[in-house]
Amino acid sequence: MNRWRSHRPLRRVAMAGAVVAASAIVLTGCGRGDGGGGGDAESKGAINDEPATGTVEIWAMGNEGELLSELAAKFEEENPDVTIDVTAVPWDGAHDRIATAIAGGKTPDISMLGTTWVGEFGATGAFEPTPEGLVDEGDFFDGSWNTAVVDGVAYGVPWYVDTRVLYYRTDLAEAAGVEAPETWEELTSFVTALQGQGATSGLSLPPGGFDSWQSISPFAWQQGGDILDPDGETFTLDSPAWQEAFEYYASFFEEGLAEPVRLEGGELEQKFISGELGAFYSGPWHTGILLDQGGPEFADKFALSVVPGADSRTSFTGGGNLAVFDEAANRDAAWKFVRWLTEPETQVAWYEIAAVMPSVEAAWEAEAFTDDPYLSVFGEQLLDAKAPPAIPTWAQVSAVIDQELEKVTRGETSVEDALATMQSQAESIGTGF
Amino acid sequence: MTRTRTRWWLYVVLVLGLVAMVMPFVWMILGSFKTTAEIRQYPTNFWPIDPTLDNYAQLFGRLDFTAFFTNSIIVAFFVTAGNIVFSSMVGYALAKLEFRGKKLLFAVVLSTLMVPGVVTFVPLFVLTANLGLVNSYPGLILPFLITPLGVFLMRQFMLSLPDDIIEAARIDGAGEWRIFLRVIMPLCGPAVATLTILTFLGSWNNFLWPLVVATTEDKYTLPVALALYSVGQNAAQYGLMMAGAVVVVVPVLLIFVVLQRYFVQGIALTGIK
Repeated sequence: MNRWRSHRPLRRVAMAGAVVAASAIVLTGCGRGDGGGGGDAESKGAINDEPATGTVEIWAMGNEGELLSELAAKFEEENPDVTIDVTAVPWDGAHDRIATAIAGGKTPDISMLGTTWVGEFGATGAFEPTPEGLVDEGDFFDGSWNTAVVDGVAYGVPWYVDTRVLYYRTDLAEAAGVEAPETWEELTSFVTALQGQGATSGLSLPPGGFDSWQSISPFAWQQGGDILDPDGETFTLDSPAWQEAFEYYASFFEEGLAEPVRLEGGELEQKFISGELGAFYSGPWHTGILLDQGGPEFADKFALSVVPGADSRTSFTGGGNLAVFDEAANRDAAWKFVRWLTEPETQVAWYEIAAVMPSVEAAWEAEAFTDDPYLSVFGEQLLDAKAPPAIPTWAQVSAVIDQELEKVTRGETSVEDALATMQSQAESIGTGF
Repeated sequence: MTRTRTRWWLYVVLVLGLVAMVMPFVWMILGSFKTTAEIRQYPTNFWPIDPTLDNYAQLFGRLDFTAFFTNSIIVAFFVTAGNIVFSSMVGYALAKLEFRGKKLLFAVVLSTLMVPGVVTFVPLFVLTANLGLVNSYPGLILPFLITPLGVFLMRQFMLSLPDDIIEAARIDGAGEWRIFLRVIMPLCGPAVATLTILTFLGSWNNFLWPLVVATTEDKYTLPVALALYSVGQNAAQYGLMMAGAVVVVVPVLLIFVVLQRYFVQGIALTGIK
C-alpha cells in the first residue's frame, strides 16, 4: 500500500491484516455523520504569517518519526510559543493506526502518510484540504504533487520523495563495451551484454506479486499510457500502451534475461555485488546498502542511470506526504508547521538529518544534491516521475495488476486476456468516488 | 530387545522434532550477535564471524528500552491477574452454581469466542475513545481483563472437580466466597497455570491494540517499540530485531519454565490448549 516495501515478506502478512481492518474502517468512516461517500471536508480559510502558537501533535513513521524532533526544534526556536509533539509510529501497522484513529475521532493534528494512502483516507473526509495560498503547487515535482490530490482537491502536501532509477554494474558494462541504455531496445541489448559478461541474470524484475505494479506501470507511462484516462474516471488498463508494456516486460523472462524469481531483501544486493545480477531498478536507499555491504572498492563497480524509456523516461515516484486532520485541535499552527517543512531550506536541513529527498524542486539546487553522483541521478529522474492515481480503491485495483502480471510472466495467460481481466475487474471495483 | 529398538526410533523422531523447534531460536540468538550486513550476507554463516554486542548496546542505549519493558510488564501483569480473578469467578459460576439462564449465558460466552478480533477492533477502539481512555494504562488493560477463552478453560477444569467437596464444605458451614477461595481455587493450580501462561503470552505479544491505543511513545509496549526501531520503511535492521526478540522472549521462557509442570497437566485435564 505504501511504496517500496515489496521485498520484505513481513509486509505481506501485515498487509493482509491492514486490508481487513481498512475495509471495516471505510464503513465506519462513512458513518461519521458527515455525509460520507467523498472528501467533503472544507478548508477553514487561509493561514496567516504570524508565529505559530500552542501545541501541535504530529505522527511520523519509522526513522522519520525518530528524527523529526531534531528538525522541529528549529521551528520551535523560530516560533517560541509553539510546542511540536512528535510521536514515532512503526511502519508496520501505521496504516491501521491512522484508520482506527479516524474512526474513533482521536486523530493528531498532522500525520505523515504513505503516498498511496492519501486517496483512501482523503475520501473519508478525515483531512482538511490544503488552504488556498499555503504553498505553491508549482514548487513541487509534478508527479509528487499529484499524490496529494484526491478527486481534484489537494489534501496536505508531499513532504519528501523517492523514485526509482536503474542500478547497473559499470565493470560488466565496460567489459561488454555498452553504455547506460536510454531506450527499450538499448535496455534489452544492454542486459543481454551484461549477461554475456558472466551475470546469470541481466536484469532483476519482480515476476508479479505484491507491489509489482510499481515495476510494470512505468513501462506503460513511458509510452504515454496511464491507469486512468485524463478525466480521471475511466480505467485504461487495456490500452495499447499497457499491451506493449506487458509484452516488453514479459520478454525479459521469455528470453531468460530476468530470472522468474522475486529477490527478497538481502539476496538482491548480494547477487549484484557478486556479479550474478547485472542491473535492477530501485530507490535511493540502495546506494547506502551497496556501499555498506560491497566495501569501498565496490563504489567504482556500479552506477545509476535515469530509467530507459520509449516516448518518455518516466519512473515511479512515492514518498511521504503530510496531511492535517479535519478535526485538528490546533489547525492554524499545524498548517504553519507543514508550510515550514516544505520551505527549501528546511527540506535541505531535513535531508541532512534524515537522508530523505526533498519534494520541493528548489531544494535540489543545494550542493549536497548537485555534487553527489548518485543523488543527482535521482534529481534528474524526479523531473519525469509519476505516481498512481490517488483513488480510494487503489489497493484493490493494484492487487489485480500484481496478480495478472504474475500470470503473464509465468506464461499462464496471454497478455490480451490478462489486460481484459484487469480492465473488467478494475471497472467493477470502480474508482471509489 | 524389541522394546529398546522402539525406544531408539522414538529418540530419533524426538530429536528431529526438537531440532526443528529449537533451530529458529538458536538462529535468533546467534543472529543477535551479528551485524545486519552479516545476517543479510549470502551464503549465510551459522556462527557469527565477528560477534558483536552492538545490537544490545543499541537496544538499551539509544532506545528507552526500560520504559517499554516496564509498560509491557504493567499491562501483562494486570491483564493476567484480571483473567485469573474474573475468569475463574465466572467459570466457577458456570460450572458449579445453579441459576436461571446458565446455559444461555455459557452459550453467549462461547459465541463471543467465535467472533474474530478484527471485527470488534474498531468498535472497541471507539468505545475506549469515548470513555477517554486512549493513551492510558486502563485503555491498554481493561479490554482484556476477562477473556471468553479463560472462562471456558476454568469452567471445563472446575467441572471435573467433584460436587461432594463443595457439599461437604457447605455442611461444615462455609459460605460461597469461602468455598470458592479456600476449597475450589486451591484445587485449580494446573488450570490457573495454563491461564497465566496463555494470557501473559497473549498480552506480552499483543501488537495492534497497543499500537493504536498508545498514541504517544511513553505508553508504547515492547512489540510496538521493536517494530518502530527495527523495521525501517525499506530495510529492516535484522540484528537489532533479533536482539530485541531475545529480550522479549526471556520473560515468557521464565514463566513457562516455572509453570511448565502445571501447564502440561492443565492441558491434559481440560482438553484444551
